[in-house]
Amino acid sequence: MDKILEVDGVSREFPGRMAVSNVSFNVLKGSIHGFLGPNGAGKSTTMRMIAGLLPASSGTMTLFGEKIHPDNLNLKNKIGLLPENAPLYLDMPVEKYLTLVAKLHKVAHPKDQVEKVISELSLIDVRKRLIGNLSKGYKQRVGLAQAIVYDAPFLILDEPTNGLDPQTVVELREYIKKLSETKTILFSTHILPEVEHICDQITIIHQGKIRASGNLPEIHRKFRQGLVLKVGIRHDEALPDLSELGKYEITHEHTLGLEKQYDLVFENDLDCRADLGKLIIGRGLHLMTLNVESPELEDIFLHMTELRK
Amino acid sequence: MIYTLWKKETESYFSSPLAYVLIGLFSLISGTLFFNLLVSYTDNIQAIPQHMAQGISFIDEVVLRLFANINFLFLFFVPLITMKLFSEEKRLETLDLIWLSPVGEWQLVLAKALAALTLIGAMLSMTIIFPLIIWGAGIQDFSLLSSAYLAVLLNAGCYIALGLFCSSLSGNQIIAGLLSILGIMFLWMLTWGGHLNSNYLVAQIFSYIGITSHFERILRGLVGTQDLVYYASFMFLFLFLTVKSLGRRNW
Repeated sequence: MDKILEVDGVSREFPGRMAVSNVSFNVLKGSIHGFLGPNGAGKSTTMRMIAGLLPASSGTMTLFGEKIHPDNLNLKNKIGLLPENAPLYLDMPVEKYLTLVAKLHKVAHPKDQVEKVISELSLIDVRKRLIGNLSKGYKQRVGLAQAIVYDAPFLILDEPTNGLDPQTVVELREYIKKLSETKTILFSTHILPEVEHICDQITIIHQGKIRASGNLPEIHRKFRQGLVLKVGIRHDEALPDLSELGKYEITHEHTLGLEKQYDLVFENDLDCRADLGKLIIGRGLHLMTLNVESPELEDIFLHMTELRK
Repeated sequence: MIYTLWKKETESYFSSPLAYVLIGLFSLISGTLFFNLLVSYTDNIQAIPQHMAQGISFIDEVVLRLFANINFLFLFFVPLITMKLFSEEKRLETLDLIWLSPVGEWQLVLAKALAALTLIGAMLSMTIIFPLIIWGAGIQDFSLLSSAYLAVLLNAGCYIALGLFCSSLSGNQIIAGLLSILGIMFLWMLTWGGHLNSNYLVAQIFSYIGITSHFERILRGLVGTQDLVYYASFMFLFLFLTVKSLGRRNW
């Protein structure tokens, strides 16, 4: 896939602190790229730099092959941004506000485009209401609407579902997924299941530095501590010698009611569940559990952030 | 693009009670001033012998004083109008919306200045009744009245440019408003400083930099190139500083 965004060695220094340090990652065309990190990790700073709202102290960023700079008018209509605090004029009605945004971006038929976005984001009932009087969920929808009303092919969404009720979260996630059919999306969050639900690729940032970047299976492969096979037998039985299947190590064992469970890691991440089951049963033991465990994204994330403490 | 932003800003003024409160208050104060000036003029005329009364000019005593007082009112009214223009956008982080679009800083600043001038225009339009009364009383000097309006409008333009700059400096509206008031007072004091200084050259420089001498000349109908150049350069300087102040924070 083509790279739409290339961030290369970008740093941003604020007086007295380094917010982002030597950050490099790429975003592929048509993907939803999750930008993951705890609060204060440097996500918003990086996203504002990509949107051309904040200069980088060093490094280069290119979007659609063009260097990101506030004077680059070509890029202005290609980036849609929903910042952490949506830029809403609270004294304006929803429809008027969206029409203003469309006109500022010189949309050919602003009314049609506003109509389309209002209907897609279920804003029909509140279109005439002042933005300041709307609930947080609706305000966030209006914020998302302003980012897409001029049909930018690249969207930057900074924690779009933060602090919303579960129903709105599900609706917005579905909508963002739908948007990715025609757009590339850089999506920041600190909610890990959200990333697993909707993102194709992720970049993990912590304390202003990139800890990992790539697609989800790649990240899993890179950061797991070996393929773990979980085997459970009856609590009063002992696990036989399994060395005929390969070199292995028992990383953990514990008793759970009537069952004794073992975590086994075979050399070269060997997945020998079929032979293992056959061997245990062949020895006359009672096999109660046999499965493979890969670490959750949350484990990887915690592991990475704790490593640096 | 300037039209779109001007329309948005003007609608924003007129969709809040602030504009109507300001227009109402301005009409009330300026109306009271006009009435008092008229009463005081007629009292003076009647109180002194007729041959001396001819020396008291209606233009000086009523018309010029009225417009000088309107200029004084702008010391408070203009900062109230301009203080929110950038401060509020900073507080609500809505400038991002503008910087993400192809709108330039000059377009934004000009649109905001024109919107503030529109509100000032709406306030001044409430005073149209005064020239009509003066006209009806037989003082039919159209050029003097129009230059008086030009003088207050030019002054308002300068105060707006200064107010916009102050608003771009702070995310706090109160601070922006107070800075504007201090700035306008400083402009007036420059002229007074010129009067107090015994050195002719220094006095001339103070007098040129201060706004009052230019205002007084135009108010009396003496619209000179040097005054127009002064007003144009003043407005340009502060609008330019506003643009620079916005640019410094964003890139």
